[in-house]
Amino acid sequence: MKKLLAVLLTLAMLLGMVSLASADETGKVYYLNFKPEADQAWQDLAKLYTEQTGVEVKVLTAASGTYSDTLTAEMEKKDAAPTLFQIGNAEGVATWADYALKLDGTDLMNEMTTADFNLKNANGDTVAVGYCYEAYGIITNVALLQKAGHSLDEIKDFASLKAVADDIHARAAELGFDAFTSAGLDGSSSWRFSGHLTNMPLFYEFRDDGITEQPATVKGTYLNAYKNIWDLYITDSAADPAKLSGYTGGAAEDEFINGQAVFFQNGTWEFATLTEKGMKAEELTMLPIYCGVEGEENAALCAGTENCWAVNAKASEADQKATLDFLKWVVTSEEGTKMMAEQFGPIPFKSAKEPENVFFKVANEYLAAGKYVVTWAFNFTPDVDNWRAGIVSALEQYSAGTADWGEVEYAFVDGWAKCYEATH
Amino acid sequence: MEIPMKKRITDERNTPGKKALTVFFAVISVLWMMPIVIVLYNSLKTNGAVNTQLFVLPNAETFVGFDNYINGMTFGNYPFYLSAAYSVFITLASTFLILLCTSMAAWYISRVSDTFSKVVYYLCVFSMVVPFQMVMFTLANTARDLHLDTPWTIPVVYLGFGAGLAVFMFVGFVKSIPIDIEEAAAIDGCGPLRTFFSVVLPMMKPTLISVGVLEIMWVWNDYLLPYLVLDVTKYKTIPIHIQYLQGSYGKVDLGATMALIILSLLPIVIFYLTCQKHIIKGVAAGAVKG
Amino acid sequence: MKKKGRKAAGAVTSPLIRRPIQRQFAIFLLPTFLCFCIGFLWPFIQGIYLSFNKFSTISNTSWVGFGNYVKAFQDDGFRHAFGFTAMVAVTSLVLINVLAFAVAFALTKSIRGSNLFRGVFFVPNLIGGIVLGYIWKTLINSVLPVSMSIQVNYGFWGLIVVMCWQQIGYMMIIYIAGLQAVPEDMLEAAKIDGASGWKTLWHIILPNVMPSITICTFLSLTNGFKLYDQNLVLTNGAPVRRGVGMTEMLALNIANNFTTANQRGVAQAKAVLFFILVTTIALVQLRLTRSKEVQQ
Repeated sequence: MKKLLAVLLTLAMLLGMVSLASADETGKVYYLNFKPEADQAWQDLAKLYTEQTGVEVKVLTAASGTYSDTLTAEMEKKDAAPTLFQIGNAEGVATWADYALKLDGTDLMNEMTTADFNLKNANGDTVAVGYCYEAYGIITNVALLQKAGHSLDEIKDFASLKAVADDIHARAAELGFDAFTSAGLDGSSSWRFSGHLTNMPLFYEFRDDGITEQPATVKGTYLNAYKNIWDLYITDSAADPAKLSGYTGGAAEDEFINGQAVFFQNGTWEFATLTEKGMKAEELTMLPIYCGVEGEENAALCAGTENCWAVNAKASEADQKATLDFLKWVVTSEEGTKMMAEQFGPIPFKSAKEPENVFFKVANEYLAAGKYVVTWAFNFTPDVDNWRAGIVSALEQYSAGTADWGEVEYAFVDGWAKCYEATH
Repeated sequence: MEIPMKKRITDERNTPGKKALTVFFAVISVLWMMPIVIVLYNSLKTNGAVNTQLFVLPNAETFVGFDNYINGMTFGNYPFYLSAAYSVFITLASTFLILLCTSMAAWYISRVSDTFSKVVYYLCVFSMVVPFQMVMFTLANTARDLHLDTPWTIPVVYLGFGAGLAVFMFVGFVKSIPIDIEEAAAIDGCGPLRTFFSVVLPMMKPTLISVGVLEIMWVWNDYLLPYLVLDVTKYKTIPIHIQYLQGSYGKVDLGATMALIILSLLPIVIFYLTCQKHIIKGVAAGAVKG
Repeated sequence: MKKKGRKAAGAVTSPLIRRPIQRQFAIFLLPTFLCFCIGFLWPFIQGIYLSFNKFSTISNTSWVGFGNYVKAFQDDGFRHAFGFTAMVAVTSLVLINVLAFAVAFALTKSIRGSNLFRGVFFVPNLIGGIVLGYIWKTLINSVLPVSMSIQVNYGFWGLIVVMCWQQIGYMMIIYIAGLQAVPEDMLEAAKIDGASGWKTLWHIILPNVMPSITICTFLSLTNGFKLYDQNLVLTNGAPVRRGVGMTEMLALNIANNFTTANQRGVAQAKAVLFFILVTTIALVQLRLTRSKEVQQ
């Protein structure tokens, strides 16, 4: 009896140890999500995955504007740090270099259709994969444009864009609408101009100089192009240029939805909101941002992403494997690809689903016609928030007439150098 | 502590000068309340109207009744009543803990007055001057290492960080309490604990109230500390909940935000209206002897 | 020192009760002190240690000695914030206290509705948060020809207005109490002697209200220096001229440094400097006003 008991006990212990060990081996996933709007979709997907595979997946969404702080705080939790998180640009790579696992050669990377949106560290290893891409440009209300007596074919470059916009603005009282929506410099709107719009001078300068990684300084060679388009935004609009900080992103959006303006600079992500609030897909299209650079008739939309997945290099191997498996499931399974298409639009993976967004169709048409993509050069910005804050304040002062364009140039060129120095 | 009840510096009542003052202050009072009133009626407007016409009263078009309130409370997958419950618990528990512990500490410091307690006192005063940003990360880290990151244990963190002001004010007050009563109690055979709770604490009521009000205001409206310390998937407080209303790219549902602010003001206003006399008397009496 | 029953007049402590209390240290002082160490002292010391390091997360630091402090002194923004913050603190201190005292003075005369007014003035103090700052920002900007984030003067006064709105109520209450504690007989004597209103105010009322003045100046001074929320919302430091935020106060400057990884060490160094500065000023102020207090 005693012997039997001893054997049984030993077996039980062994079984216990094995189950403990295998529990360790399955690993778990902890994703720190960036987009608050996608929180519910991620929670549902995580639950589904756990049901199907038994692997624990936890998703926490950082409050808007707090991702960096939240990630820093969460990473301090040694055993419970995120295994999956997001890096947006070169600055993020510099900050989190020690925490980002090299992803070359993983199954996940083999599923990708393009490496254009991935982020690399100083050694050229891929440390983050872009999991969706977006495009932005000048969203145009075609119906209103036609009402003003113009057509899309007229607009091929900056000169023609300006001609059309000037004309509409001059006749705004008669038409009942103006050319551009307000170029608000409130926090909810300013990123469109301190980030997205500054991409134009940055892209062209980097293209000319063959720059492929974060430079320590910029020259601002195309700042006159930036001035062209900014002047157009503030002149041919109903908004008061001296009070731009009072116009929010929501205000510009509403102006566009209510048919008060023909042009609205924004991106593919706006499609859902615009159509939900009553605009028709047939009325909408997106133009490239023309600013007076030679050869821009061949420009397509500005495409890129700030959403890249990174896996925690300091997590346990089991957790890393679990995370990579989870990601592979997300980009290959039926439910995963469906959710990604709905929440994030087109994803650069082989099994991706077609999104219904009209803007993406337009973006693809440009590409099919052989036009060049304006990639997101602004991803290289050092100390992004501070650099952009400088640009915003300079734009505000310039628009109000209390400073000249030199202030913007200073913020652009000298600001970049200072920000680079601060982060290195 | 002799502060006469209805003391007047001058005696006459209804002179024209007085009437003018009344009118003057009436006007100022209305203006004084304007910002709050604006939040109130904006919480009843549509989002678009809040964005573009902040100061216009809601009309037939823009009035949406309680929609914003409902939106704000049901947004996301975290129920608002839970945030409210956590906020209430954390505020009350922290305030209670602070008042109890720091009053005792202040009494000790004043009565014992040795080198150690003097050092502690000055450390407390210094701590009132430190900006939160300086200890933000390290505090959050320490709190998490010690497993103080749940609503049930975060009052300890608040006691630690809020001890400075409370001790400062209590010590100032205790200094003015005549020592005879405590000596009498000691002669009668009361130990320090009994002396404190039956003799000293009742006399400290005004200061307890004034410090209590300060602490309640601080903890109720605090955003950074709970956000950094608590596990936000499980525990949210009202300020955190309001912050989550912001979508990415700075899109804010302003109507719902205004609504939630009004909701978060309500308990405070009710608390204030019911205890107004005590609060004002307390703040006044408690502070002047500091 | 165990002379039973003998103590100096106005003594704070007495040998009779001192020892028993001291023995109960663990109950009375320890809990507070322990939590104080956890919640403040240790993070503070750690913060000082970090100011000598370069780091992005606390587990990942590298020693740089005084390097951060040098950078802090070389930072134009920091130096400017220094001067601007001092201006804001002093201006708000003067305005808040003068206005609060004036209002308190008026509301201690027997006018109709003074209780209601006291309540109303106190309410802003109950409300915290950033969204109220947003309302003020929209309010002020819509009234001005140019927004606060463009014209430095407007930004400055906008800050002062919001600070006054929030703090006058609380200070007023403290002043009311102080005024009510002025001894009647002194006032009567002054009246009999035929002293004018001003003379009475200056020579009798003010010295007796000194304790209130001490507290209020200390609170409004430290509040002014530490101001962050309203600074962030009203202008966020704008306008930025040649890289320097013209309305950026010290707390905002330091907080901005925190958001930039690799600058966190410099931010900690700045915070330490900030702390030293404000402590010195506060100590000086306390000394000055305490010496003028009339002992009751």
